[in-house]
Amino acid sequence: MSLPIRPARLIGPLVTLLLLAGAFLYVRAGRSTVAPTGTGPVRGGQLVSSIRAEPRTFNRAVSQDQITDLLNTLTQGRLVRVNRASFELEPWLAERWESSPNGRQHTLHLRKGVTWSDGSPFTSADVLFSLRVAANPKFVLASSLTVGGEPMRGAAPDAETVVVTFAAPSGIGIRLLDQLPILPKHKLEAAFVAGTFESAWNTQVVPADVVGTGPFVLREYRPGERVVLDRNPRYWRKDAAGQPLPYLDRLVLDIVPDQNAELLRLQSGAVDLTQDALRPEDFVTVRRSEDQGALTRFELGVATDADAFWFCLKPEAKKQDRRFAFVRLPAFRQALSHAVDREAFAQNVFLGEAVPVWGPITPGNRQWFTPNLPRYPPDARRALELLKELGLEDRDGNGVVEAADGTEARFTVLVQRGIAASERGAAFLREAAATIGVALDIVPLESGVVIQRMLACDYDAVYMRVLTTSLDPAGNLDMWLSSGSAHFWNLSQRTPATEWEQRIDTLMLEQAATLDQARRRDLFNDVQRILAENLPVLYFAAPRMYAAHTPRVRGVVPSVLRPPILWNADSLSVAGGAGAAKP
Amino acid sequence: MVRWLVGRVVSGAVLVVLASSTALVLTRLAPGDVTTQLGPFASRAEIERTRERFGLDRPVPVEWAVWVSRAVRLDFGTSFLYNRPVSGLLGRAAANTGLLATLSLGVATVLGVVLGLLTGSRPRGWLPALVRAASILLLSLPPLLTSLLLVFVASRTGWAPPGGMTSVGAADADWLAWAADVAWHLPVPAMALALPLAASFERLQAQALADGRDAPFLTAARARGVGPRVLLLRHAWPVSLRPLCAAYGMAVGALLSGSFVVEFVTAWPGLGRLMYEALRARDVYLVAGCAAAGAFFLALGTLLGDVLLAAVDPRAREGLDA
Repeated sequence: MSLPIRPARLIGPLVTLLLLAGAFLYVRAGRSTVAPTGTGPVRGGQLVSSIRAEPRTFNRAVSQDQITDLLNTLTQGRLVRVNRASFELEPWLAERWESSPNGRQHTLHLRKGVTWSDGSPFTSADVLFSLRVAANPKFVLASSLTVGGEPMRGAAPDAETVVVTFAAPSGIGIRLLDQLPILPKHKLEAAFVAGTFESAWNTQVVPADVVGTGPFVLREYRPGERVVLDRNPRYWRKDAAGQPLPYLDRLVLDIVPDQNAELLRLQSGAVDLTQDALRPEDFVTVRRSEDQGALTRFELGVATDADAFWFCLKPEAKKQDRRFAFVRLPAFRQALSHAVDREAFAQNVFLGEAVPVWGPITPGNRQWFTPNLPRYPPDARRALELLKELGLEDRDGNGVVEAADGTEARFTVLVQRGIAASERGAAFLREAAATIGVALDIVPLESGVVIQRMLACDYDAVYMRVLTTSLDPAGNLDMWLSSGSAHFWNLSQRTPATEWEQRIDTLMLEQAATLDQARRRDLFNDVQRILAENLPVLYFAAPRMYAAHTPRVRGVVPSVLRPPILWNADSLSVAGGAGAAKP
Repeated sequence: MVRWLVGRVVSGAVLVVLASSTALVLTRLAPGDVTTQLGPFASRAEIERTRERFGLDRPVPVEWAVWVSRAVRLDFGTSFLYNRPVSGLLGRAAANTGLLATLSLGVATVLGVVLGLLTGSRPRGWLPALVRAASILLLSLPPLLTSLLLVFVASRTGWAPPGGMTSVGAADADWLAWAADVAWHLPVPAMALALPLAASFERLQAQALADGRDAPFLTAARARGVGPRVLLLRHAWPVSLRPLCAAYGMAVGALLSGSFVVEFVTAWPGLGRLMYEALRARDVYLVAGCAAAGAFFLALGTLLGDVLLAAVDPRAREGLDA
């Protein structure tokens, strides 16, 4: 028995097929992207960005995830804008404002002639409606848009003026309004009154119903595929030459969940940019593409958040655990800090693209960073002295220090699984701690599990990056105050557990209510110093962030904050304009 | 035959109920729930509101009973991740996966069977050796690597889109242009699924053919002067299909329930990717819905495999008629 076709007879068709395939690939590869011509903005064309997750809603007032926030930036306006590159406050839907001397009352004058994307006029009634939504504790904005624990109140003397009143003086002032999405009363009030506000702009909404004052309008959402946004022809902004913005006709957000595939699509030009900073392990690949002219790589700046390491310091959760008798003492945590060489940490964990840090405020947060904090240089001898003063020595010669009662300094550290830099950082920390006889066992877990255990204080230690919600420390009182829900080493205390937390509470409350910015800075420097002395949390390095885009993208003003490029979407354009639209 | 068919439908329904219920209960019992998606420091009130909205504040047995009572009416609840009904999401994703699976299965079957006939009937020679080596290589490569490799090649050469299912604006085009656009997006995910499967079919086909080479009925046919082409295609091949058909059912089921690795890497909006995202987010009703759809397709696939087996093997037919 044998196959009636002899293998030799297959050679001819195979060679023909190969030749055809080769010719096809050659022709396809020969299709070059449009070469950039000139450097100025060009009207028209479409830009494709990748996003890693699905939108859950088109209403920023009911969800604060990154995609909702991005879509809000693209489709909605705000009264004032914090420029994501300079961190300066800019007039936006409000063209000017005055504040009362006590800092509690702010009169905002709305820009004239602004309309919603459906043509309805934008008035103070929309702002008042948005303030009502923000004050409703059912929705996510209520927790972040308060001053002195109370929501902002609004009044409208006329259609173009809004008076916003704070319950207490606020150091942040009207910068807080950058976080307030301005929603169309004529579209959403009925749902708000009927109690269906949460689902009013869910992902099944008819796109035309999502009206906004932002540069783009929703055209289409295809679950699992993409979100397509078209130019808002009624957008109010113009460029310096008087040309209406945005320049782009269309902005496409392709949903690409896998970061490796996302990078490949960026390299091939299938997407023009991504929403996430590059991972350190991608730098070499991207540099090669940059050398070939396929990508433009640029530095966003130093990240405003650093990876953090902390123990659970909630006394009631650890009262039976003898290890925490010494963990609770700052000297133990100082010894651990002395064990870590931060320069080597930056080199190993972030492949050299990081700067050492000694507190939660990194050099990326230019307004609030101070270099003058207590530091703990790498010094194993000093670390061992500190441990000895606490009664911790390696008595049985097993490489781990223990107390006189035999309690070993051995801890389990929870790390988020799948984040390579986090896993590398935890591994580096384990090695460093081992040099002074502190044993750290690393346990990577799904991030949901880490968060759940963290909230229940069901852990020894955690290593992860905690993202702050605001660059201004007064916007992060939930982290700084001992009663705060994000005071992560000891959440939501009834009364401050330690004397130094009490001091931080006092200083932060004063800092948040002070209008004099120099005084605010001094107060916050004191807070940072107290934290660095007591080290409830150890910080090691903040990465330098890089992003990349295809060379045809113009007008990029990088920001270390999210979204790193699309925050400025109305001023982006593509080389070739309308002629450069991709298939 | 009818009794057998009814029995298979009933066992398929039991499989669907068991798989979806187990998925629902395990997702609820596993540490963490959908509220972890609200971020590490969401307020307690927000967490409680979300739990209440999705019925996660009820005991697991109550939640299961409520879910089952709705699921029999094809109401699988609301997805937290997408903020829309699960049934709508499942229908769309299942259609996408079905399209991808059908093409992959077709390619894998043709490639696998033809190459299996070649290597099984002619064990010596450079071409069969090359095919065998390629099959072993494809079988040993993890799906993640195969997918990434194809995405890499596609993105470097431009021979096909490296991911996604349609181009921007395809929805605005007429249905023919839309279908052409979908077809243009199919090669990468379809090849990622089809190549390892084709390798598996090739090995099964070749092995079955080689095992039956010295069977008495073939020797008798040869003695009667039957030519090699007829001997292979009319006598040896039908008998060798039994192991292939047995594996076919499982392959159909697995393909139709979605390959999360391939769909994830190639950004294909199918069932596998939906399930993966649901699991990551602990989106309990979406997980249960995806498990139900997966089990349904698995039952359908094994049924199809059995029917095929009965079609090619009289012994199997006798079993059904009994």
